[in-house]
Amino acid sequence: MSPYFISLSNPLRFLCVLCASAVVVAAGPVKLDHRLFPGLHHADGNWAALLAATDGKVYVGLAVHGGDGHLVYYDSKADRVHDAGNLTALCGESHLRRGPQSKVHAKFGEGKDGRIYFGTHGGWWFNYARFATKEGYPGAHWMAFDPRTGRVEDFGLGAPNEGINTGAYDPLFNRIYGLTHPRAHFVYYDVSTRKAVDKGRINNWESVCRTLAIDDEGNVYGSFDRGRIFKYDPRTDSIHELSVQVPIREKGISLGRDYNKSETAFRTMVWDAKTRQFFGVDESATILFSFNPRTGGDGEVRRLGQLAIPELADKREAPYATLSLTLGRDRKLYYGAAGREFDYSGSAGLATSHLITYDLNTGKTEDLGEMLLADGSRVLGTNAADTGPDGTIYLVGAIEVRPQPGKPVEAAGKIGDAYYRLALLIYRPR
Amino acid sequence: MRLRFALLLLVLSPVMGQRPLDYDRSVVSQVRIDLRELGYPPVDVIPTEESAVRALAVGPDGALYGVTSGKRSHLFVLHPAHGYVQPLGYLKGVSTVYNSLAVSRKGEVYVGSGDKDGHLFRYSPPANEDEQPIRVDAPVNVTDLGAPVAGEGTYALAISRGSDTIYGVTYPGGQFFSYSVAAGKFHLSGKVAENPAPGENFEQEKSIGRAIIVGDNGSAYTSGENGALFRAAGTSFQKLPVSLPGVPGREPFQRVDAWTAGPCGTLYGGTSDGYLFRFDPERLTIENLGKPLNQYRIRGLAFSRNGKLYGAGGDDDEMARLFSYDPARGAYELLGMIDVNRRPFYTWQAYVIGAMAIGLDDIIYLGQAERRSKLYLYYPGPPNRAQAHCAK
Repeated sequence: MSPYFISLSNPLRFLCVLCASAVVVAAGPVKLDHRLFPGLHHADGNWAALLAATDGKVYVGLAVHGGDGHLVYYDSKADRVHDAGNLTALCGESHLRRGPQSKVHAKFGEGKDGRIYFGTHGGWWFNYARFATKEGYPGAHWMAFDPRTGRVEDFGLGAPNEGINTGAYDPLFNRIYGLTHPRAHFVYYDVSTRKAVDKGRINNWESVCRTLAIDDEGNVYGSFDRGRIFKYDPRTDSIHELSVQVPIREKGISLGRDYNKSETAFRTMVWDAKTRQFFGVDESATILFSFNPRTGGDGEVRRLGQLAIPELADKREAPYATLSLTLGRDRKLYYGAAGREFDYSGSAGLATSHLITYDLNTGKTEDLGEMLLADGSRVLGTNAADTGPDGTIYLVGAIEVRPQPGKPVEAAGKIGDAYYRLALLIYRPR
Repeated sequence: MRLRFALLLLVLSPVMGQRPLDYDRSVVSQVRIDLRELGYPPVDVIPTEESAVRALAVGPDGALYGVTSGKRSHLFVLHPAHGYVQPLGYLKGVSTVYNSLAVSRKGEVYVGSGDKDGHLFRYSPPANEDEQPIRVDAPVNVTDLGAPVAGEGTYALAISRGSDTIYGVTYPGGQFFSYSVAAGKFHLSGKVAENPAPGENFEQEKSIGRAIIVGDNGSAYTSGENGALFRAAGTSFQKLPVSLPGVPGREPFQRVDAWTAGPCGTLYGGTSDGYLFRFDPERLTIENLGKPLNQYRIRGLAFSRNGKLYGAGGDDDEMARLFSYDPARGAYELLGMIDVNRRPFYTWQAYVIGAMAIGLDDIIYLGQAERRSKLYLYYPGPPNRAQAHCAK
C-alpha cells in the first residue's frame, strides 16, 4: 500500500486534515478578462501549450482533432491575437493526406535567442490501427518560432509515427525534450548540433507523464511507474530512476475512474528559482507537493496539501488534476481546478472551474471561487497556465458559449449541454 | 453535428492518454494474456536498459531460459512450477545477445554473444537451480567456449539435440558455423552472404538470416543473400535452390526472421517483410502462406498443441501484434496488440517483441525487446477439431 494512502490508521491523514483546515474558501466568483482566438472557434482543446514570453507575447497551441492545429500568440502590448499558422502547413505536410499535425500538446520554451521552441503532436489515433501505416500520423516535428520575423523554422521529423505528448525546452543546453505518444519514449532535439535523439521507452502509453520539469542546471525530471521520478542528466546523457515518489492516491479505491485514467504520475510541476525546488500536483487527487532535487542523493518530496476544490478534495469524484499550475510573481501558486472531470468534449459533465492559490510564504491555500467572465459566462475548464513578466496570470481553457438568436453558434463542441470554445484567460492578481 | 460530437467523444479518450473499453477490442483478449516482470520488482529485477529480450529457449524439462541485451546481458529462467522469472546473473562482458540461445538434451544452456568478438558460453544449471537466490548484480557462472569467428558476434543459434551439435551464424560477416559439444570444437561451414544488400550509402548490411532451425532430419536451415535458403548437416553446408517468398524485386532484402517446426517434419518460417511460409525440407519446396499483418517482420513463431501456429509481427518502429494460422483451414486470425491490463495492479504493452517460445505446457512466451521489457505469457485455446494438420 502506498505510504500516501489516506486511511484512518495513517498518520499522514492528520497532515492532510491540517492542510484541509488551512484552506480558505472564498464566497464569491473570480472575474477574469479573456481573449478569443478569431477564426479558430473550432479549435477543440489545449493542453499545456501556453507560454508568457519575456517580450509580453503569450503563445498558445490550439488543437483541432481531425484537422490542423494552430500556433497563435497574444501580443499583450498591442492587445491583439495573431495566428502564426497552421501546424500541418508549417511542417510542409499539407499535401501528404496523412494524419495532420493537430496539436502542440506540450509546453513551449523560450531560448536565449528569443525564439519559441516546441514539438508537434497528432490528433486522432484510431486505437492505433493506423500507427505506422501510410495514412497514419507521420510523426512529430521539432520547431522554433522567431518573433522577430514571424516565421517558424521546421527542424524536421523528430519522432517518426509518434507525437510529442509531453515536452519542455531547456535554454541552458538549448534542447527541446519530449515524451512521445503512444510509445512513451524520452526524446530530444539538440538545437545547436541539430541532432535528434531517442533514449527509449520510459513508461506505458496510458501513463505517460504530462510534464517534463527542468531545473536550473538543465536536469530533466519526469515520473514513471507508481509515482516514481526519473532524472535525465544532459551531462552524461543518461536517465536515472530515483528512489523518491510523488504522493498519489491509490488507484481502484476511491476515484471511480480507475479503468480509464492513469493515476500514477505527477501531472505538472513548476520550478521555483528562489528556493531552487519544484512544486507540483499529482494526477489522482491534485495533491500538492514540493520536490527538492538537491536534498539527499535522490532529492526529497514533501506533501504540502491539496489543490482540488475543497468540497471535492476528499470525495470519490475528485476531478483528475489539470495542467493549469503556475507560480505567480507574488510567490503564490495559481491552479485552475476543475469542478468535474474535465477534458473538453470528453468531460464528465458541466461544472465551473475554480481558481485556487497556495501561498509559498504562508502555506495558506485559498479558493478564489468560480471563474467567470465579465458577462457572467462560465469557465468550464482549463489545462494550461503561465505567469507573464508583469505578474499577470494566463490560463487557456474552455469558456461557455451562449447561443444568440439568429446567429450561428461559434463553438468547438459541447461540455454537458453547454457549447464551448477556447479562450485565453487573464487574471491580474491584486 | 451531434454525430460529430459523439465521434469526437469516442476518439478523444485515447488521444488524452486514456484506455476506454473500446480500446480492448484492438488488443489480445485479456483472459488469454499476462506478463511477468523480469525478477522481483522494484529492486531485484533486471534493470531498465538491460532488459531487452531477443532470445528465449525451452529446455527438455520445460524450464524457459531467456537472455537480455542492453548495458549488460542477463540470463534468466522461468520454472513453470513457480511461474516467476528468476534472474540468474549477468554475462560478464556481454551486452548484446541476438537470437542465440539453445538448450541441449542434457539441459545445458548455450548463449552466443552478439558483441564484436562474441564468444559462445555454456551455463550448466545446478540441480537446485530454482532454490538459488535472484542474481541481478552478480555474474552468472558460465564456461567460455571461445569465439567462432574473431571480430564477429553470433546472430542466430540452434542446437541439434540428437547430435549435440550447435549451429550458428555470425554478424556482420554471415559466417555459418557449427560447434560439436562432444569435441568442443568449432567448424566454419561457409558464408550465407558475401555481399551487402543493395541500398543507400548508409546501408551496408548483409542479408543474414535472423533465425536457424534444426529439422527432424537433424539439418539446420537459415537464409542468406538474396533470400536463398542454406542447409547445414554436421560439417556439410550448401545453398539450396529455394528462396524466401516475397514481392518480386525485394529478394535481396529478405531474411528469415523466425522458424518453428510443424507436424510431420514441415517447417514454418516468417520473413522480414512479414510473410509466413511453409518449407518442406525433403522436397525442398516453399509455399507462401501470405502476410498476416500489414506490418514488417515476423518476430517469433510457435506451434501450439491446438493445431494452430502463433506468431508475432511488427518492426522496431511499429506496434507488435499477435496472430494465429490454422493450417487445417488455411486461415489466419488476427489477435491484436500485445497488451496486458490488470488494473489497478499493473498494465503494460509490448511494442517490440524480440523472441517467442512455447513451453511444454503449451504456454507461449513472448520476450519484449525495449528499454524497459517484460515477459509475456499467452494461453492458446484448447485443441480444436483439426489436430496437427500435416500440410505437405
